[in-house]
Amino acid sequence: MKIFTHALATQAGVQALHLHGYEIALAYAFGVAVDVDHLLKAPFYLRAVGLVDRRGYYWRSSLQEPVALLWIVPLCFYLGTFIPVLFFCVHVAMDYSVSFEKLPFYPYTHTVTRGWLLGMTDNRKELILFVVLLCTNLLLYLGRR
Amino acid sequence: MYEFAPVLGTALDRIVRPVARLLHVTLGLSPSQVTWASFGVSVMAAGTIATGRVELGLVLMAVGQLLDVLDGAIARLYDLRSDAGHRLDTRLDRASEIVIFVAFAVAGLVPPLLVALASVAVLLLTTVVDRSKLDPGCKRFALYFGIWFPYPALCTLIFAVNLLAYVVGLLVIDCRFQLRMDALDGDLDTVASRALGREPPALLDRRRTAA
Repeated sequence: MKIFTHALATQAGVQALHLHGYEIALAYAFGVAVDVDHLLKAPFYLRAVGLVDRRGYYWRSSLQEPVALLWIVPLCFYLGTFIPVLFFCVHVAMDYSVSFEKLPFYPYTHTVTRGWLLGMTDNRKELILFVVLLCTNLLLYLGRR
Repeated sequence: MYEFAPVLGTALDRIVRPVARLLHVTLGLSPSQVTWASFGVSVMAAGTIATGRVELGLVLMAVGQLLDVLDGAIARLYDLRSDAGHRLDTRLDRASEIVIFVAFAVAGLVPPLLVALASVAVLLLTTVVDRSKLDPGCKRFALYFGIWFPYPALCTLIFAVNLLAYVVGLLVIDCRFQLRMDALDGDLDTVASRALGREPPALLDRRRTAA
């Protein structure tokens, strides 16, 4: 999913849970900023593909795969809040609706999956979700006023 | 233990060579026996710390760690290295650390949750360290600094450093896998499943040895 869709989902969560200050930072860190690993993989992409849009190139990392829950859950216990695990799960759930290959538990297992809702095109799923999240954010915003 | 810094390992082997010779040649101890002795001393250290005698416990912990250095040194100096020995060493090292962490909780010096989190972080790092070769070595060693810093802060440090090393280790492994995928080229949409068929040479060697 694109970063704007992740940002909309995170903002909806922030509004729905009435988060403040430090909690908002955590929500955005685990709901949006985990995508920073694409920057880490960018040199690999440029070397393998170049400056061309090549869909399906695996430029995810374990930072945004379910295996990351192994360190995010202990972190939540340390911080005393469930916000990181909640927003991370939302991020992962959204990414798993896009049909490119993913390695959910690498390096522990070699399982490869394409996620769920494979019957619908990625663009359609993203568009529907974008509209739903935009409306949710608007409703939450108006509801709070 | 010193794969990330072989120079340090070699220098340490040179220093402990006379003691290693005494244990292996004179006393006839195998590396595994020294590993078990190291674990035994660490359990004694934990018992001592749990009863509130922290300084004595730390001295015993240092003896345990010295024995832990010696088992590896004997294995390297007398060419007795084996996968089984490495596994035993790793498992008993982790068991020693957890027993000592728990002792600090029993003594009321560190909250149990912090002990549990530090133990989890150390165990997580252990699951990837053979492949990532990234081990900052900040485990029970940090507890010696309890003379100057509060133990809860040291336990937090152990948790944070090991958890961070785990995350970075995962990324290192991931980048190596990316290189394997890129080497396959072709249809990048299905390259992950094909690259998984090509395991790293070290893993294949280990499987062949086990077979």
